[in-house]
Amino acid sequence: MNLLENIRLALEGLRANKMRALLTMLGIIIGIASVMAISTLGSAMTGSVSKTMDKIGGKNISVYLTPKNYDSQATLQPEDYITQDELNSFKETYADQIRAISLSSSLGSGKLNSGYVHKDVSVTGANPDYRLVNNINLVQGRFISDRDIQSSRNVIIIDTTLRNNLVGVNGDPTGMDITVETKNTNETYTIIGVYEKVVIDNPLFNMGDDTRIECFIPITTAKALNSQSTAIPGYENFTIMASANTDTTAFAQITKQYFIKNLGALSDYTIEAQSMEAMVSEATSMLSTLSLGISVIAGISLLVGGIGVMNIMLVSVTERTKEIGIRKALGARNSAIRSQFIIEAIIICLIGGIIGVGLGSVLGVLGSSLLKFPTTPPFTPMIIALCFSMGIGVFFGYYPANKAAKLDPIDALRYE
Amino acid sequence: MRKKIIEMRGIVKSYYLGTPNELEILHGIDLDVYEGEFLSIVGASGSGKSTLMNILGALDRPTQGHFFLDQLPMENVKDEGLSKIRNEKIGFVFQTFNLIPRSSALNNVALPMLYGGKSRSVRTKRAKELLELVDMTARSHHRPNELSGGQKQRVAIARAMANDPAIILADEPTGALDTHTGRMVMDIFHRLHQEQGKTIILITHNTELALETERTIRLKDGSIVENKINEKIQLEGSYESA
Repeated sequence: MNLLENIRLALEGLRANKMRALLTMLGIIIGIASVMAISTLGSAMTGSVSKTMDKIGGKNISVYLTPKNYDSQATLQPEDYITQDELNSFKETYADQIRAISLSSSLGSGKLNSGYVHKDVSVTGANPDYRLVNNINLVQGRFISDRDIQSSRNVIIIDTTLRNNLVGVNGDPTGMDITVETKNTNETYTIIGVYEKVVIDNPLFNMGDDTRIECFIPITTAKALNSQSTAIPGYENFTIMASANTDTTAFAQITKQYFIKNLGALSDYTIEAQSMEAMVSEATSMLSTLSLGISVIAGISLLVGGIGVMNIMLVSVTERTKEIGIRKALGARNSAIRSQFIIEAIIICLIGGIIGVGLGSVLGVLGSSLLKFPTTPPFTPMIIALCFSMGIGVFFGYYPANKAAKLDPIDALRYE
Repeated sequence: MRKKIIEMRGIVKSYYLGTPNELEILHGIDLDVYEGEFLSIVGASGSGKSTLMNILGALDRPTQGHFFLDQLPMENVKDEGLSKIRNEKIGFVFQTFNLIPRSSALNNVALPMLYGGKSRSVRTKRAKELLELVDMTARSHHRPNELSGGQKQRVAIARAMANDPAIILADEPTGALDTHTGRMVMDIFHRLHQEQGKTIILITHNTELALETERTIRLKDGSIVENKINEKIQLEGSYESA
């Protein structure tokens, strides 16, 4: 009496009661499908998180001044700002760990005028390192150089959309002059480069309104133009790109300690440094907690499904008492009867599991593509789900099967 | 001397219906059945026929006494051992046929061989042969509910023969059949007895059928009251010419 024979017997039994078998499977199907859908979604999210991390810079540490107490009406005092000199000495101290330091200062939004083209843009003052840290992909010309910074030149980097508007897809706008009007300024800039915008298509990293065209000018130019910030001797935030082998989480702490020590007493503010990795792992752990919670609920559905299987197996044993008696009279051992019913339960659960895995994968893939992280269903949870459903079959099938095996052949034969 | 297939000495079967009410069904049965015999056991209901049949068929154990089946001592045989003995030594034919409703005639016949661990090809081959023996080849893929009573019983007889058992135990095999089909079933038993030399024990309350067998044991209130060799009678049936 081998496994294959038992499987054949079990399938024969299930075929006789198709509707009942299907209804019994339903609990398992729902349970497995939800677990599968959740894990597909979960893996899609984690996958997209790491992909996005590469795009937005997994090695970045953002450093910023923050009020010690959010309730107070604290304002930044000029002496609170981090000066260029302070930054330079910081960079020298940790030359091995720092690849780049990006500085930026927003000039706000404005209107670009050039011939017949009028566009809403936002203008950001940036330093040369900004390009590396923020993954700016230049397609034409060059980015802001140190000399542009030193001389506060009126040069500008535009994006491909704007380029297409000005000179067409194949045109070269470098050297062209454009006028940008912002709240307090109306300046003419020379285009020196064109960059391609990195599209971060991930709702987990929603960077806000992305439809506006962002243009870059030298940070010194921006500061000079912005009357409010002319007097300000430094920066309230900057981004460090750590070198490849630096532990960014640890280095964020070092950075924080360094500036707390070196900036001296700040009035109402303190400095905070947060690595992108830490932020991402925070988001990821939140995600996995969420999936765990949903999985527990799905697990309850599996438990209920398992009880359903046990119930129907008990009914089946009672219904087939006579058959069990016949089989015993023909020489079936208790073990043969037991394995017949256990395997029947396993097959119910396994078929349910397979349908559930299929359904869950489809739902997971559909859901994740709706949320814009297309993915393929993960393999390991699939196997775990199938093994688990078989486990349910064994666990909930054993008691009814054992009941069947222990039936007295004479009583069973006499049963009507 | 012919081989003893059944040797019973002082078989007692009693049930404990909760102490101290002990119900003794069989009061010391002595019975010998020889190889190739066609024996009938008759008795009114309540005479202990069924209990004796259960013990003969290794479905139950006697409370007391010695029982050798095909020269194997049946005392202290565990459940698994009884299963093996039923599988290899006994072929049951029941009044209500007791075929597995979901399985085809062929699979029903093959079932004892499945439990006997025979390979699929061997089972199918032997089952086909047996169905041919009972003239059921045309219906081998039909399920029991697609067969008439007589056809079902023929399939059941083929199934009883599957593992070439030492004895065929037929419990009222014609009880649920009309006279004509009952006759046909009896003819098959005679044929198996004469052509294949099968040892057959027929349990019945039909004295006429019992007279067809070589020897009749009469049970009354749990004891053997008669053990009579029957005269050979010429049957109207066709089994001798078949």
